[in-house]
Amino acid sequence: MRLELEAKSFGARPVLGALSLAVSRGERLAILGPSGIGKSTLLRILAGLDRAYRGRLDGADRLAVVFQEPVLLPWRDAVANIAIPTGCDAATARDWLAQVGLAGHEAKFPRQLSLGQQRRLALARAFAAAPDILLMDEPFASLDAETAGRMLALTDALLTRSGAGLVLVTHDPREAEALHARPLQLAGQPARLQTRLQKD
Amino acid sequence: MTGTPKPPSPRPGLVPGVLSLLAMLLLWTLASQLTDRPQTLPAPWDVAARIGRLAATGELWLNAGMTLFRVTASFALAMAAGMALGLWMGRWRGADQWLNPGLIILLNVPALVVIVLCYIWIGLNETAAILAVALNKIPVVTVMIREGTRALRPDLDDMARAFRMAPLARLRHVVLPQLAPHIAAAARAGISLIWKIVLVVEFLGRSNGVGFKIHLLFSSFDVTGVLAWALAFVAVMLAIDLFLLRPWEARANRWRQDAA
Repeated sequence: MRLELEAKSFGARPVLGALSLAVSRGERLAILGPSGIGKSTLLRILAGLDRAYRGRLDGADRLAVVFQEPVLLPWRDAVANIAIPTGCDAATARDWLAQVGLAGHEAKFPRQLSLGQQRRLALARAFAAAPDILLMDEPFASLDAETAGRMLALTDALLTRSGAGLVLVTHDPREAEALHARPLQLAGQPARLQTRLQKD
Repeated sequence: MTGTPKPPSPRPGLVPGVLSLLAMLLLWTLASQLTDRPQTLPAPWDVAARIGRLAATGELWLNAGMTLFRVTASFALAMAAGMALGLWMGRWRGADQWLNPGLIILLNVPALVVIVLCYIWIGLNETAAILAVALNKIPVVTVMIREGTRALRPDLDDMARAFRMAPLARLRHVVLPQLAPHIAAAARAGISLIWKIVLVVEFLGRSNGVGFKIHLLFSSFDVTGVLAWALAFVAVMLAIDLFLLRPWEARANRWRQDAA
C-alpha cells in the first residue's frame, strides 16, 4: 500500500505535512515520535478510518488493526470476538487463540481476561483477518515490562510465520528494534517523516 | 476461621415482594369490609369469583386475547419504528435536526387526540386502533433509543470499520448489544403504557377486548366487573414481564457477570 499525503489538519490546525509512505507484504516499518505529534492520525489514515485529508491512498492490501486499547466486544466470548469481526470460522478462531497462548479461555468474555490476555486476544483477532499488512497503534503501552516483552516476541514470531507487513506506531524505539522494523521519525509542525532517527 | 460466603439468593426481593402484595390485599379486604356499600368497593373474593366465572364461560380468554393481540401488534410496530427512527436520529445530525420538531410535537399531542383522529380519518377498524396506540408510543421509544445511540462507543465503531464488518453484522454484534439496556427500558416502559392506551382505544371504538367490557360495566356502575377485568389483565401483563422480558434481559446481560 502507498500513501501520498499532502496535508492533514484538524480544523485550522495543520497536523501532518506532505509525506509519502509505502509498505508491502513482509516489510516492517515503525513510526516513532512523541505523543501528540500525529502518529495515530497517520495510522488512522492508513487504516481508512480517517478520510478527511488531502492526498491519496492506494493499494488493495488486506489490513488489520491492533488499537491502543484492545477494543473487544464485551458481550461476545473470546472465540466470537475473533470470528465475528474477521469472518473466520470458529475452528480457525480457536487455532489463533491457541497460537497467542489463550487456549482454555475460548468461552470467556473479555472482562474475565486480564489486560495482557485482552491484548493477546486483539492480536489473535488481527492475525485471524489474514492481513497483508498489520497496523499497530501503541499496542504495548500500559503493559508491564515483562508482559510487553512477551507480547513483542509473540508479535515478531507471528509476523514472521504469516509473512504480513507491519506499520507500528510507537514512542519507544526499542519496540521497533525488537520487531525488526525500519524506524521512521515523525517530527515538526506540521509533522513530516524523516528516515533517520534524530539525535538530540 | 471465616465461613464460606453466602451464595446470593437466585430471586432477591421475592419475599418482600410477596409480603407487600399480601399487605395490599389485606388493606383492600379491610376497606371493603368497612364500607357500607359493597357496590363501591367489593371484597377481593367477590372479584376473584367474578374472574373465575369469566374464565369458565370463555369470555375472559376471548376479550383478553383480543386486547393482548392489539397490545402485541402496536408494541411491535412502536418498537420497530421507534428503534429505526432513534438509530437514524442518533447517528445523523441532519436527520435529528429535521425530525426533532415533529418528535417534540408528537410527544406532546394527547393520546386521546391521536386516537380520535385515527378513528375519524381511518375508520372504526383494527388498523386505526393499532396505529393510534403505536403513534402514541413511537416518539417515546425514539427518544430513548436516540439517547442510547448517541452514547455508542466510537472505538467499537472504528474496530468494525477497520475490519470491514458487514452492516448487518455491525448492527447485530456491535450496535444492538450496546443499545440493549435502552431497548429493555423502552420495552418495559412501553408495554405498560401501551396496554393502558389500548384500553382507551377499545373503550372508544371497538366491540371486543377488555376496554370494551369495561365500557359496558361502566354504564352499569359494576365495580366488581371493572376490577375483575383489570386485575385479570394486569396478571397477564405481569406474566409477560416475568416470563418473557426478564429472561431476555438476563440473557442479554450475561456478559456483565464475572466468571463463576
